[in-house]
Amino acid sequence: MKPTLQKAKLLSTLMAATLLFTAASSASHADSKTEILSLSETESVIEVGANGETAISKSAESVRSAVDFEHELDSYKPLKDHYSFYFTYKTVHPWWDAVALGMEEAQRQFLDKGVTITYEYMAPDGASADDQTEKLHTAEKKDYDVIGVDVADEAIISPILDEMVESGTKVMTFSSSDAAEGCKRIAYVGNTHNYEDGADLTEALCKRLGYRGKVAILVGSKGAPCHEDRARGARDTIARYGEMEIAAVEYDMDSVDLAYELTLKILKEHPDLDGLVCCNMSNPVGAARAVIETGSRAVIVGMDHDQEALRYLDDGVIYCLGVQDCFSIGFDTLQVAVKIADGNLPGRLFPEKTDEITTVIYQEDAAPMLALLYGDIS
Amino acid sequence: MEKVRITKRILTLTAVIGSLVILAMVVANTLWSSRQAVSATDEAVSAVSAFYLEAMAERRAHTITNQIDNNFEHMEMARVFIEEEEIASQEQLRETLGKIKSLLSLNRFALVDEDNVVYTQYTTYTGGSRHEFLSREKMEDRIVSAVTQYGSSRQLCLAIPTPGLIIMGKPFKACFVQIDMADIVNLLAFDDQGKTYFGLYSKNGGNLSGTELGPVISDRNIFDATEGLVPEAVWQETRDHFAKGEAGRLSFSSDGAAETLCYVPIQNTGWEIAVLIRESVIQDQIREISERSMSTSRNQFAFTLVATLVLAAVLLAELAALSNDAIEAEKKTSMTFREIANTDSLTGVRNKHAYSELEALLNRKIEEKEIQRLAVAVCDINGLKHVNDTQGHAAGDKLIKDACAMICNYFKHGAVFRIGGDEFAVILQNEACDALAEVLDALNRKVEENVKTNGVVVSVGSSVLTQEDRQLRDVFDRADQIMYERKKELKAMGAKTRLY
Repeated sequence: MKPTLQKAKLLSTLMAATLLFTAASSASHADSKTEILSLSETESVIEVGANGETAISKSAESVRSAVDFEHELDSYKPLKDHYSFYFTYKTVHPWWDAVALGMEEAQRQFLDKGVTITYEYMAPDGASADDQTEKLHTAEKKDYDVIGVDVADEAIISPILDEMVESGTKVMTFSSSDAAEGCKRIAYVGNTHNYEDGADLTEALCKRLGYRGKVAILVGSKGAPCHEDRARGARDTIARYGEMEIAAVEYDMDSVDLAYELTLKILKEHPDLDGLVCCNMSNPVGAARAVIETGSRAVIVGMDHDQEALRYLDDGVIYCLGVQDCFSIGFDTLQVAVKIADGNLPGRLFPEKTDEITTVIYQEDAAPMLALLYGDIS
Repeated sequence: MEKVRITKRILTLTAVIGSLVILAMVVANTLWSSRQAVSATDEAVSAVSAFYLEAMAERRAHTITNQIDNNFEHMEMARVFIEEEEIASQEQLRETLGKIKSLLSLNRFALVDEDNVVYTQYTTYTGGSRHEFLSREKMEDRIVSAVTQYGSSRQLCLAIPTPGLIIMGKPFKACFVQIDMADIVNLLAFDDQGKTYFGLYSKNGGNLSGTELGPVISDRNIFDATEGLVPEAVWQETRDHFAKGEAGRLSFSSDGAAETLCYVPIQNTGWEIAVLIRESVIQDQIREISERSMSTSRNQFAFTLVATLVLAAVLLAELAALSNDAIEAEKKTSMTFREIANTDSLTGVRNKHAYSELEALLNRKIEEKEIQRLAVAVCDINGLKHVNDTQGHAAGDKLIKDACAMICNYFKHGAVFRIGGDEFAVILQNEACDALAEVLDALNRKVEENVKTNGVVVSVGSSVLTQEDRQLRDVFDRADQIMYERKKELKAMGAKTRLY
């Protein structure tokens, strides 16, 4: 064999060996506040703002704006490092629990700034002007910086508030019910447009019914300003339409069970009832239960954010709901209370009436509102 | 059997094709091995991840159970502490609650009196509608519940009855804490370091923790989210597990990605904790390791491939060079032999063999009319025999060389052949024919002078190709005839010659 070919053979052998090694190696590695909500084709979101004006939004953005959970204290510097307040509200009810959460958030923020606030937040199991009167007299004797009142009955409570103010007690009203016009209470934080809320909800109902039909009004506690104002707004609205009539007006005293029974009674007496205007939080829940049970076609409009009511809204049993911003009411109440405790009066630091919004929502807004207020627990 | 001759082309082709085949085999083998490895890894990981998930879910369930137990234990301690304190006013009660909160790290620790009034460090409120457990007629045992506050804040509520506890003359029926679910989630997330998804669920699949259980289930009700993703029977079985507080496993695919979740019950809560791995973190991790290994392997392979290709190229180049050298050497040898075969050793001009080769070539051209102009001169040395006989062969050879030199000197543009002992032929082609007459005159004059001086005498006859000629021989014969005539003339002039 020639040397050249011997060399070529050697190199070829080396090359093949290298390739085989490579193959083996590779194989081994392998492996306010302006709340804009979504609308149906025929509906609009109605937001009622300060001074009772009504704005109609043409587009929906988010239910999140209906309730403002993102609050921060304003720049006011409290004069003391400890405050003690007493608040009394109409009745033990989830609506006021929502207000309480806003208050607690404000209390936490004050605490972060070195200001300790202790307070009592008390109500009877059922709305009662007498109970509220007793509570106020008891509280007046203690050394609270400010006493806040969600007026149970303006006729009974307003004079008591006047007396307390005259005796030197700092008194404010809050949440949904202010005292009677002319009351000497220092300020009010809450819904200032209950009449408009009632009117707007009723207008939505009338429109839905084609401005003709028989309607019942469910009210909350007798004498409670917010409930009475809404009922008045409902009555006035219905009165504008000749073919609308009020079949019944009933008070549930903020009890869902009573609202349910009253609705059953109304539907028995007026099986052809076309609609129900519900003026508080318990009304629409009881009404919806009764409407479902009887198979009535009555259209329900109502107030507030009860979880069960929102589910009825989602299911289409309730036509629309007016949702108040309870969290903001609570937060602002505590903030204004501190300013009042420091001797401030309405003006530059806070208005005589701090208005909180109400947002009317419809079926398509129910699910996001449920998610916003109650999470995803089913 | 016929022997196959290995040519350069065959060798090169064999080398190239062989290399490509080996490379293809290596690549195919590597790919196949990779797939086998990945497949085997997937199978192993699938089995391992289930154990991993189950262990993780159980560990988290244990974490929550521990936290709940710790809180209950601290609440019992708080109850004893309060019973031992002499609390006479609400302020003192608040102060005591503050102490308990900081000493025992109890979040939102509160007491509840018989009227459902709740006492915390900073507030006192009527809580009948706010705390669900207060709606119970009797409270005889510990209560664990998840509550969603207005605003979607999820909290874990732990309550214990406080029979016999009287403060400020008022019977108190319970104490409770509320733990933000976000704190529990953070605790669990710390354990996890973000490698898996998890969520706390109620019996009906509601998300208690607000965490996202992967992109498919997200923070929705687990049953709403998985309905249709798994067979109805499996889905129903999972519902039953949740309802009965049992552990289980659920696998499904979405958008081509496999997801596996394990759920285990959390003791005394009625909840389930679910842990989910999308495409399996273990799998990803192993795949990552495998990828790194594969990358190293690929680099190694690429390096070896390049080295091999370079080696092969060098080899081929060397082979080509060697082959070229061999061919060149062979050519040279062949040329040498050819030169030897065609050259007259005495004179250095081409010989009779070379003339015969050229004659054959020219005959073909003449036949095919490819050649237009051609002339042949036939030369014969006069007196060679006389010189050989009288002066010896060495002198004769010298005469031949001198004659050849003279012929070459005059026929500079012709091809000179020694076709016999004393006979030469000169072939002139194309332009070389132009000066034939002049060359002949000059040569003949020189020869005639040499006759007188006893120098080299050459008889020359020439002829030109005509239309009638069929082969070179025809031209040659005419020139040869003329050469003999010239030989006679020279003899007459006194030149020594031999007539045939």
